[in-house]
Amino acid sequence: MAEISFPLPDLGEGLIEATVLEWLVAEGDQVERNQPLVEVETTKSSLELPSPQAGKVVRVYGAPGETVNVGEPLIVFEVPDNTAGIVGTVPVEEAPKRRVRLSAVLDED
Amino acid sequence: MESHGKHSGQAHPHTVEGTDPQLHVETHEPAAAADSEAAILTSRPVLLIHGFASCIKLNWTDAGWISALTGAGRRVIAVDLPGHGLSGAPEDMDSYTPSRIRADLLQIVFDAGARPLLEGDPTSGLDVIGYSLGSRLAWEFGATQPELVHRMVLGGPSVLDPLAAFDLPAAQRYLADGTPIADESTAGLLKMAQLLPSNNVFALLSLVEAIKTEPFVPDEAVPRMPVLLVAGDRDERAESMPQLAALLDHAEQLLLPARTHTNAITSRAFKNAALDFLAR
Repeated sequence: MAEISFPLPDLGEGLIEATVLEWLVAEGDQVERNQPLVEVETTKSSLELPSPQAGKVVRVYGAPGETVNVGEPLIVFEVPDNTAGIVGTVPVEEAPKRRVRLSAVLDED
Repeated sequence: MESHGKHSGQAHPHTVEGTDPQLHVETHEPAAAADSEAAILTSRPVLLIHGFASCIKLNWTDAGWISALTGAGRRVIAVDLPGHGLSGAPEDMDSYTPSRIRADLLQIVFDAGARPLLEGDPTSGLDVIGYSLGSRLAWEFGATQPELVHRMVLGGPSVLDPLAAFDLPAAQRYLADGTPIADESTAGLLKMAQLLPSNNVFALLSLVEAIKTEPFVPDEAVPRMPVLLVAGDRDERAESMPQLAALLDHAEQLLLPARTHTNAITSRAFKNAALDFLAR
């Protein structure tokens, strides 16, 4: 199993932080992609953040009333190893390497 | 046929009273429907009306309402008010009067497939959800369309209209030369208006001016269908909510703990209560 941490995403309009209003999932919950995760409030309005992917919630950052900065960790998921994506090792099919001779090889005949 | 979840952002094709209100409309089909034609036949549509200085994206999409409604099998019709979101900003002040906006909304919902309530047909009629200014518009819409509207949910509602007390000359002066606005409420509302790039601030001032010519008088026309009134318990504007409830035949009220006028809209409790109430 691998862990992936997701940050508070860019909320646009030059907003740099948000206050957690209410968590809609808890540590231990299995969530689906796009499932509502948390309500946050900015100087502009409140919004609901959907889950960027499926997984089991391992840790959430920011109790209700606390501020999280854009780009800082918001939630950590536990996912199966082969879906870890950029975190953890994923077998990558390498492109066949072309061998280039640095010196000319004359044909036999 | 469009696939489910895909919204159509077509320009509103009708003209009402000869001028084009240029209103942006979105329809969202329920998750369960294989195609939009099936959705029209199997679910009563829900009209969403946002508040002052807001828009569909902020008030409904980003707040999680569209997915909550379509996920529950509801078909959604959402409108950007004039000067807001993706709607145009008509020149004439008449386009911004509440009575004209209601006429435009009526045309929009009929164009989107809404039809009058029919006894025993749960797909007929229309449900309405409004927030703040959208609540005021919904109150009057429901009151004047008893054959169409099934139930309504009014969020952040108030007997008093903060826009009616808006100091228009002070706002215009501030925009012209930066003279600070003395009235706190006016300053706050103008700040809200300027916060969203999609707002046409001058159009919003026209809206305020138009609203002053048609102030909200809730007991002049009262909706007769069931209404759920919802507000944050820290929303000062909603202190008069019980007065609105007292005018209605069938009113239910819900207070959201620790929520303000600004952050009540994302509340899960609000969404769940609205879905339950409208499904009854």
